[in-house]
Amino acid sequence: MRIFVVLAASLFFAQTAFAEPVGSPIPVGIAVGQTTNVALFGEEQVNGAKVAEKMINEKGGVNGTPIKLVFQDTGGDEAGAINAFQNLISRDKVVAIIGPTLSQQAFAANPIANQAKVPVVGPSNTAKGVAQIGEYVSRISAPMTLVAPNALKRALAINPNVKNVAVVYAQDDAFNVSETGIFQEAIKDQGLNIAMVQKTSVKDTDFTTQVTAILGANVDMVVMSCLAADGGNMVKQLRQFGYEGLIVGGNGFNSPNMYPVCGKECTGVIVAQAYSPKADNAENNAFVPVFKEMFKKDPAQFSAQAYTSVKVVVDALSEVEKNSGKKVAEMDTAELRTALNAAIISSTYETPLGEIVLDADGEITQKTFYVSQIKIADDGKTGAMELLPE
Amino acid sequence: MFLDNYGFLMVAIIQQALLGMSLWYPLMAGQLSLASIGFYSMGGYIAAIMGTSPLFAAWRETLGPALYPVEWLIAMLASVLLGLLVGIPALRLRGIYLALATIAFVQVLNVVVLVLDVTGGAVGLFGIPQPFEKRIAYLWFFGPLLIVMLLFSWRLTRTVAGRSFMAIREDELAAQAMGISTTYEKVRAFVIGCGLAGVVGAMSAPFLNTWNARQSSFDASVACLAYVLIGGARSIWGPLLGAILLVALPEVLRPLKDARLIMNGIVLVVACIYLPQGIAGLLASLRRKASGVA
Repeated sequence: MRIFVVLAASLFFAQTAFAEPVGSPIPVGIAVGQTTNVALFGEEQVNGAKVAEKMINEKGGVNGTPIKLVFQDTGGDEAGAINAFQNLISRDKVVAIIGPTLSQQAFAANPIANQAKVPVVGPSNTAKGVAQIGEYVSRISAPMTLVAPNALKRALAINPNVKNVAVVYAQDDAFNVSETGIFQEAIKDQGLNIAMVQKTSVKDTDFTTQVTAILGANVDMVVMSCLAADGGNMVKQLRQFGYEGLIVGGNGFNSPNMYPVCGKECTGVIVAQAYSPKADNAENNAFVPVFKEMFKKDPAQFSAQAYTSVKVVVDALSEVEKNSGKKVAEMDTAELRTALNAAIISSTYETPLGEIVLDADGEITQKTFYVSQIKIADDGKTGAMELLPE
Repeated sequence: MFLDNYGFLMVAIIQQALLGMSLWYPLMAGQLSLASIGFYSMGGYIAAIMGTSPLFAAWRETLGPALYPVEWLIAMLASVLLGLLVGIPALRLRGIYLALATIAFVQVLNVVVLVLDVTGGAVGLFGIPQPFEKRIAYLWFFGPLLIVMLLFSWRLTRTVAGRSFMAIREDELAAQAMGISTTYEKVRAFVIGCGLAGVVGAMSAPFLNTWNARQSSFDASVACLAYVLIGGARSIWGPLLGAILLVALPEVLRPLKDARLIMNGIVLVVACIYLPQGIAGLLASLRRKASGVA
């Protein structure tokens, strides 16, 4: 008889141990790459998320309950991302995860969160198929389908005589490969001729072969999908070898890290952007000054996207409270995660990126994109992105 | 709870140990080859393509879960064949030149993978079918393989083939003078490693959910070499001990945040300076001291 009581009691306790309330502050996981070579992006994301935490808690968090960001470093590889996710899910009991930095890491780690029914918001995963991993996966980073044609139109406004275009892309980077596809479509749609396609690698520093080929083909415009370091070097070498036509860079150029790499040669390069610190909307006007005060520089796109991800989660948490009439901190973690995911998708958010909509698939629709032109200061090291007029 | 948290890590240790072991066989014959990671990558691609490509839809229908062993077999055969092709010319080189040639081989493989469509280019392949729900269940893949390979290694050190490998490692000229066909033996040791790396790759693709060109980076090659050297290149336990230390350390040190990679580096440096025979060598000398032989 006694053994039954013990068994029943232990079952009871096991059950209560299983149902855990969320608690206050509400834990939100941030799994981005803070070490290895993705740290360059990961650090910008950490900064953006910290600004979000500060601003949101100063405004009273989720209807009075503060949030707490739990950071786990994913490193740059798939195993690191899986480990970070697993820690956040089962040890830190976060209500949602923001991350990871790279699309390839998302393909490895997101299925694990999906299986555990934990909502994931991807701040910077642009590869095709990320949002489709599962019903608990969404992202706020748009593939550049809209901005590429925009950037080309602005370039044609500057020089309407463009006919022949050279396309350059880094073939070992997932983002650049998908972006160049969009650019090439857009070039054809504008009735321009793709004179040549040159492939590079993000690790390249010498572009003599590509530059010579481009100069030989006599093109009027070069459209590049590269990252900041290799792209900056390539622009520099193009200009030094005497290329004078237009240069359009993709979203990889949208980083202040470009300026010191290519210096004065960068002036005039047209950049397609998913975010600009100069964007004029209420959310961005509130975000930029706080970011500047904390980090003494303009927020980069990765920072704005991380900020946006946190905001999306918090807005959805408020939505859950409104719909259920219960305080989030008192809800059971598993129950909240499901409700939160339902609130995240199929909603509209006001963010520094402008108005964004997440569809039922967790895929983002972004309303506004930006096209800027780089202007380097006289010192040759610092610069700014000047928004091109609509 | 503990298994939820550390299940993946425990299996990752075994997976990395097996990868280290694939480098250990050529080292047993004194050949420093960094090609393993290339065969690992190829094996992973074979499994990923067979798991996701529409070309193999009929195979997946008819074989069901039996597809996994078929993938391992194909990955092993492909790795052994390519291993022979690469090994026969490359193993005429020695020491650092062999290491360079094998790195070059991995780079060539990487470029091929980035250009091909069937490998998914820079994004790689994803949505690979999963045989198990939980990561810890992958012990059913890697665990038996580890046991088989440990038994194989242990037997190998006691057979003529294994002793020829070690003879070449100690003195190639003397081994040749004793009538050992050194090229033949070196290729044999190399190919055993290639086959193992291919199988580990094929098991790893579903384990990681995704497969791409970054699996065979230079860093990964060096990490594999470190497992063997830190663990002890002369003991069959070396790769396992090295992987336990080097894979687990950054995870166990997670609470230290940024300092964890510094700690990891310090451990590596200390191990290199004070443990020339690796952890296995240290354990052996402790045992000798304990039994009073000194």
